[in-house]
This record gives sequence, structure tokens and C-alpha cells, in this order.
Amino acid sequence: MAVRANPNLLEELKHYGADDVTKCYHCGNCSATCPLSKEPFIFPRKSMRYLQMGLGDKLKGNLEPWLCYYCGECSDECPREAEPGETMMSMRRWLTAKYDITGISKLFYESWVAEAGAIMLVALLTGIGFYWFGMTKGGGDFGIYAGPNAFLPAHTEGNFFGLGWNVHTFDWIMGAVLGGLLVTNCLRMWWFTTGSRKDMKVPLGTYIKHAFLLPWHFITQKRYAECDKKKPWIIHLILMLSYLTLLILIMLFLHHMHAPETHWVHIFGYASTIGLLGTAAYALNGRLNKTETHYKHSHESDLIFLFLLLYVGTTGILQHFAYRFLGNEILANFMYIIHMMGVVPMLVLEVPFSKWAHLAYRPYAMYLAAVQADVIAEREGTKVPALAPQKQMTA
Amino acid sequence: MVKESRTGVYICQAGTGAADSVDLQAVAKYAEKLPGVVLVNVIGNNPKLDPVSLGEQIRKEKLDRIVVAADSPGYYKPAFVRGLALAGGDPENVMLASFVGNGAGAQGSTERAKAVVNCAVHGVPYGLAATPKDKPVHPDTLVIGGGVGGIQASLEIAGAGKKVYLVEKFGTIGGKMAMFDKTFPTLDCAACILTPKMVSVGQDKNITLWTYAEVEGVSGSPGNYKVTVRKHARRVDEVACVACNACSEICPTVVPSEFDAGISTRKAIYIPFPQAVPNAFLVDEKSCLWVTSGGKKCGACVKKCAKEAIHLDAQDEVVEITVGNIVVATGYQVFDAQKIDRYGYGRLPNVITALEYERLTNASGPTGGNIVMKALKHNKRKKVDEWVFAPENPKPKNVAIIHCIGSRDHNYNKYCSRVCCMYSLKFAHLVREKLPDANCYEFYIDMRAYGKNYEAFLEHIKEEGVHLVRGRTAKIEEADGQMRLKGEDIIGDKVLDFPVDLVILSVGLEPVGDSEKLAGLLGIARDEDGWYAEKDYNADPTGTERGGIFVAGVCQGPKDIPDTVAQASEVAARVLKSIISGRMEDSRNALSLADIEASFRPQAQA
Repeated sequence: MAVRANPNLLEELKHYGADDVTKCYHCGNCSATCPLSKEPFIFPRKSMRYLQMGLGDKLKGNLEPWLCYYCGECSDECPREAEPGETMMSMRRWLTAKYDITGISKLFYESWVAEAGAIMLVALLTGIGFYWFGMTKGGGDFGIYAGPNAFLPAHTEGNFFGLGWNVHTFDWIMGAVLGGLLVTNCLRMWWFTTGSRKDMKVPLGTYIKHAFLLPWHFITQKRYAECDKKKPWIIHLILMLSYLTLLILIMLFLHHMHAPETHWVHIFGYASTIGLLGTAAYALNGRLNKTETHYKHSHESDLIFLFLLLYVGTTGILQHFAYRFLGNEILANFMYIIHMMGVVPMLVLEVPFSKWAHLAYRPYAMYLAAVQADVIAEREGTKVPALAPQKQMTA
Repeated sequence: MVKESRTGVYICQAGTGAADSVDLQAVAKYAEKLPGVVLVNVIGNNPKLDPVSLGEQIRKEKLDRIVVAADSPGYYKPAFVRGLALAGGDPENVMLASFVGNGAGAQGSTERAKAVVNCAVHGVPYGLAATPKDKPVHPDTLVIGGGVGGIQASLEIAGAGKKVYLVEKFGTIGGKMAMFDKTFPTLDCAACILTPKMVSVGQDKNITLWTYAEVEGVSGSPGNYKVTVRKHARRVDEVACVACNACSEICPTVVPSEFDAGISTRKAIYIPFPQAVPNAFLVDEKSCLWVTSGGKKCGACVKKCAKEAIHLDAQDEVVEITVGNIVVATGYQVFDAQKIDRYGYGRLPNVITALEYERLTNASGPTGGNIVMKALKHNKRKKVDEWVFAPENPKPKNVAIIHCIGSRDHNYNKYCSRVCCMYSLKFAHLVREKLPDANCYEFYIDMRAYGKNYEAFLEHIKEEGVHLVRGRTAKIEEADGQMRLKGEDIIGDKVLDFPVDLVILSVGLEPVGDSEKLAGLLGIARDEDGWYAEKDYNADPTGTERGGIFVAGVCQGPKDIPDTVAQASEVAARVLKSIISGRMEDSRNALSLADIEASFRPQAQA
């Protein structure tokens, strides 16, 4: 099949943060320096080449950007200051936009005003919606924060159009919509990278064999730990585990959080809040002050995401304090709505369309990479040694 | 005059470089008084120029000529050309006044900038407006640096019967080329080409050779420079010494040999190498026990010398000479590979630099030309084990040559050092020739075989079975006494990780450490990489901003031996031209604003 070059690809990638790609003169220093770059996935140099040559289709079917965790060593040692690490990052943004079936992601990445505007719109609608929900579900007492009669009940057989609705109902609806979008986009990702490739006929057994990699990489981010720099992995892991803990606590144990006596949920909740706010603040400070190589370049989407995390974390703990320590239930309910005005746009917009989508794409890419590596190894039979057998010369 | 022209002067600032050292307001004031100037406009820093509004202004002011004065005014010219055309003027009448292009680049350049603007207003290129005055020339010449370039220039000038002072910092002439084994692409023996030239220098009656000497001060003007030279105390009588080696045998102090690039040792009293010119020993004052102890210790060599040539208490001598021309041929130093830690130089014993390899493979080197690995050997004197080269050491099975060490790298030197590709190919040839059973890998980014016969040389090396791998090596690591090379084979699409026994780092070339000091003494400029700046890249590649001072060889920028020799001979011809004609053009820098103004005054009728 003929390969078509897209002369505007570089220009397009500039919106996603790839600025210095043309400086690369292909010395291979980056690919060799990278501790994660192993056959059959050698990066980042090859992806830089695809970019320079405008091979958009090749890039679209490329898993390699997701296999990079951006420790920044390649950029540090690049003799041309071509920023291979940041280029991989921008390719991840671009791929997120490509996987997204709706086109919203592309809009967000290419215009931060659109992203910020959408966030504010969703925030506004959320605020109105939750207030309206609290008012219409029955009593509508803004002065009650917890319990079955709460303004926004966490755990109750409430009376809302005769159905047992509470705030979690929204969680599950939202979860289903987001999950549906992510699964659709992941299917597209599979099609671009594996399904559509004629040289990539994968037996079903191979898919099943590696399935455990999905949860494994999702939870441990073990591959990140293989970078020479360990600190970014630890920061990322704390952030991610803190968020995951809070998500589980809020989804399943929210009513325990409202309990006046200390519950194990509180211990986990406070620890995770500290973890989340601490690491998010660390990352934001890093990005604003360019403290480390991987913080040197920031796309607007990176900052928006960190801002949302900090906003949600702060407002979340404030409403809790307002109720539990100040006993001010009106303030608590007010903060609740303010909090939800961050949570909903963050989940609805960031997860499927922006930076947060990597929660699905990255483990999925590592899974697909393992699958592909199996197929390639099968095809090539015995693995060819790194250098072809050496010719012996006589003098 | 047929019609008084109406000139508009636009002064812009690029915001970088030269214009910062020019007082634009002062230039503007000056320009207002120039004939025909009706409008002077300082349009500031990096102006956004709109041809349409420019055209309107030009029409309003009835301008028919425009002078654009800036750092690099060509950048703004198109807007003015269109503006003038829109106003109905002749676009040919846009004159450029380039500050940076005419030497108004340094501090206090405002006077020069005024002169440049004045010339442009008169429609005359600055370079033609006023020619510097001729000056008489002293017939003697100073050549600084005794490498192949300095030797060539000295021999050429002396061969025409003119007196040359050749000043060399090291104890012998010969420079880096004397260390080399073979030359590329001819694979000639470097010493066989160079040593006869060195001997000729030593024997030439017209050449006064001062080795172990440095230029300390330069004053005067083109054609008549007064130069102070410090002749470091050699402490051995150059004439009396017969290089019998008796002093060196008794000397107790052992230090690394500079000539062997540190892979062998020498004594504190030493001769750099057996064919040194002058063929006489010298004392290294930094390591000699007698000197460092203030005459209290040792002194053993003095008694051993049958010729009574050793005078350990000798003092530096400072001489002043007068010369008409100065040839700078100070060469280069190699990049310090220790700066790039990931290649392990200095940490891993069998990672060596190009110069070390030259000595290793050289028949006169410490291993007699055997390519071997370093091995641990007990040093009885220091009571430690040391990694050393010795002829009987095991031979390497896998040799890796890594190009572009410190070159083409934004973290170190951005420029291409130009010779490394070819000398690396030469290294590979020597590996294949001397160790036919060993594998030789070359890791390159781009293969630059740019010179005459170089491409053929590359093809020849390929046929010899050298593995040319496109890709820069990322790192050398050691585990269990075995080095491993990690890199990417770009063409083969593979990440490499394989065992190597000997790694040769093809280090790039750098300006010598004291090039800044010498540039200051001579009053010549250096470019952004530190090389001496030529006067004009194309038309005057060996001249400098200062008349009578020429640059030859690598000190002007990386180049190979043929280019260095060609430049040296070219410089010699230019020096001889000025000596034989007895006159030389004074430096353009000597021209004042008044000189320029005078050239535009109406000449008195003859």
C-alpha cells in the first residue's frame, strides 16, 4: 500500500507542542539512551522521523509514544536540542485526538480557549443541575448536608420521580458514558495500531494471554519504574493511587465519610487527599518553574488538568471540613456544589477528550505492544542478534 | 548639481548584537546634518514595517532616496523597496548601511556607524569610500606555532630569503602531526612527511627557532610590530646537548608523556621524541625535583652530562623583536572526552581518545605499533596497580570507533570538527590491517568524506570489512570486566548492546586554551566558537581585522593537513608580497570618521 506523506503534519503537531522536531539529525542517541527503548519498539528517533517525513498514517498506527514515560533523558542528552521527549509527549496528545471519535479532543488540544470554555460551561450546568436536583427531590433543605434528608443525599432511598435516586446515580450514569467513550476510542486505537495492519494477524489466544497486563500496568505503572530516574514514577504513582483511592471511597463509602466518629474511610481519605494535593502541587510547581526536564515544556492542557486536580482536591476537602469540623452544613452544601462544578467537567471532559485519557490508552498500549511483540517474534522465528553475524576478513 | 536629492534615513535596531553598542540617537543627529537628508527616523527595535504606510510617508516627504541603517539592514530592505515603488520612486534608490558588516560591531562603534551612514547617504559603499593609507613594512616575520602550518609558512618565507622568527610553546616543533601515525587518505607515514620539514626549519639560516617560548606582548602597528617573547628556561644548552639520554636515565621523576598523549611516561628531563627539533633535552620545571625544591634536592643529571650542557639554575629570557607581519598558526587542542561521562573516558581504562590511539598504533609509540588493550601492571615506585599499554598485552577482539565526540553537539561544540570522520576511517583501516581477526565498528552520524579522494578512501575502508553503523553511541557500560556498547543501528533498525574491548573516541577539535589571551595580545577577533576570525570568509580567509596579522591552519577553524599547508603557503605569499613591495595597507580600523568625511569633501580643482 502506498504511503502518503502529509506535508502539513509538522504544522499540525505544533498545536500539540512539537516545536523542535526539525532540528533532529537522526544520530540515534535518544533511542540508545532510553532504558525503555527495546526491540521491537525502538523510540523516540523513529517517531521523530515519521513526523519529519509527514507520515501521519504511520504515526497514527504507532504505539511507541505510549511506551515512553518521559523521564527526559533523551532530551537532556540530545545533541541538537530537538526535545525528543517533548515530541513524544506531543504525539501522545495528537494520538489522543486521533483516537477520539467525536473530534472534541482535537478541538480542545488545538484551542485551549475551547477547552477552558467547555469546562466553564459544564461547570455552570453542573452547578445549576445539582442545585435544581437538590431543590426538586423533596424537601430541598440547603441546611442539611448528610443523611437521608440531605440536600444532596449520598446514601438514601430518596424520592425523586418515584425512583431511588441519590447523587451516586449520576456517578454511574457518568461512568457508563465515559466508559463507553473510552472503550470506543480504545477500539479505534486497536484498529489503527493492530487491527488494520495486514502484517499483524493476532491469534485470539495471544490477546487472552496478555490480558493481565492491562490491570497490572494500570495499577503499578511498573514500566515507569524502569526509567533511570525513579522520582517521576513515585510522584505519578502517588498521584494516581491517591486519586483511585478517593474515587473508590467516594463511589462506595461516601456515607461513612459523613459519619461523626472516626472511620477507616477517614484515614484513607485524608491520606489520599494529602497525596493528591501534594503531588499535583509538586507537578504544577515543576511545570511553572521548569524544575525538571519533563516539566520544561507545558501544553495548556497540562496546566488545565493540574489546575482541575488541585481545584477538585481542595474543594473536596473544604466541604468535608465545613461539615465535620465547622458543623456548618450550609457552607458544606455550598462547597459541595462548588466541588461538583470541578469534578464533573474534569471527568466528563478530561477523561475522554484530553490529558486524562492516558489512563486508558497507556496501559492499553502496553498490552497491545506485548501482543504485537509476540506476533513479531513468532513471524521472525528465532530472534536475529543485534548485529548481523560478523564477516571475517583476511588481511 | 542637477537636482538636489531628498534622502530619508531610517535607523532600525535588530535588538541583537552590534546595534546595542551603537548610540542610535547620536547617529540620527549626525545623519540630519548630512547633505540632502530631509528625514531621519529611528524606527526602533525589530520594527514591523508596512510598505503602504511607508509609501505614504515617502510621498508626503517627497523622498527620492532611502537609506536603511541597521545591524543587518538587508532584512528590512524589501519593505522600503516596495514603499518607495508605491510612492512612485525608483526602487534602486534604497541604500543599505550595515553596521555589523562594516565593523561597527564592537563597543564604542558609534563613530564607525556614523561613517557608514555617511557613505550610504553619499551612495558609496563604505569599503570604497576611503582606502586606508599605505605603511612601510619591516622585512622580518613572526610565526606563532610550530605545527605543520607554522613550519610550512616559515619555510616558504625563509626560502625567499626573508628572516622568520618561529615561536613554539612546546619543547619541539612538529605539533600534533608529529604524533600521528598515518595521514588520510593516502596512508602516508606522517613522520616521513613532517620530519624532513622539521629538520629544514632547524637548519635554515633565515629561521630563528625559539621552542619552549611564548609571545607575551604585541605593540606597534601593521608593518611594524614590536613583539615580546618569553623564552622559558630550557635549562639544557640547546647547542651543546647531543641528546645522548644519559640525563634522562638517571632522572628519578616519572610523569606522563605529552607527546604520547599520556599513554606512556617520560622523565622530568626529557626530549619530547627522538626526532625532535631542536634535538636537545629540556627540563620540565613543574616536575623536576631540583627546580621544585629550589635547588635543595637531586641535581643528578647535571653530573651525568658529559657535555656539561645542563644548567638547572637557568632563567627565563625575555626578548623583544620587531617584525612587519605576524602569522598565527597555533592549531588546536582536542575535546576533553571526560566531559561526557557516559562514554566512560577516564573511568574505563580501555576507552581511549583519538590522539592516544594515534600513539598506540604508531610504530614509535609505547607498544611499538601493536594495537592492544590496557592491562593492570604493578607500579613498584608508587606501589599501586595501574592500567597501562604494553606490547605484550592481550589484543582487542571488538574495537568500536565513535565519531562526533564533543562535535555537532549543542551541549558541547556545535560545529563539525571536519577531520574526525576521515581519521576514524584511517583508524579502522589500521585495526583491520594490524588485527585481521578483530571486528571493527564505526559509529557515525553522517559520514563526511568531503575532500579530494576521500570518498574513494571511504569505499576502500568499507571493502576492508569495517562495520559502518549509522547511529551515535549512547553509552559505554562495564559489567564483570567486560565493556558493553549501547547504541542504535539506525539503518538496521536495531538497538545495539554488545561487548567491546577497545573504544576509540573520535574527539573533535577545539581552540587552544589560551587562544583568547593571544587574540587579546594581537588585537584580533575570535568567532563564536573561539576560532580566530578571518577578515572575510570567502575573499580573505587568512587575513584578520588587523593588517599584517594572518591566520593559518586549524586556529582559524577545523581543517585537515592539506588545507592547513595550503593556507600556510598562501599566507607566506601574502607576507612576502608586503615585504617585497615594502608597503602594506593599514588596517581599516585605523580609519576615523574624519577620514571618511574628508573623502566626500569637494576636491580642490587641480
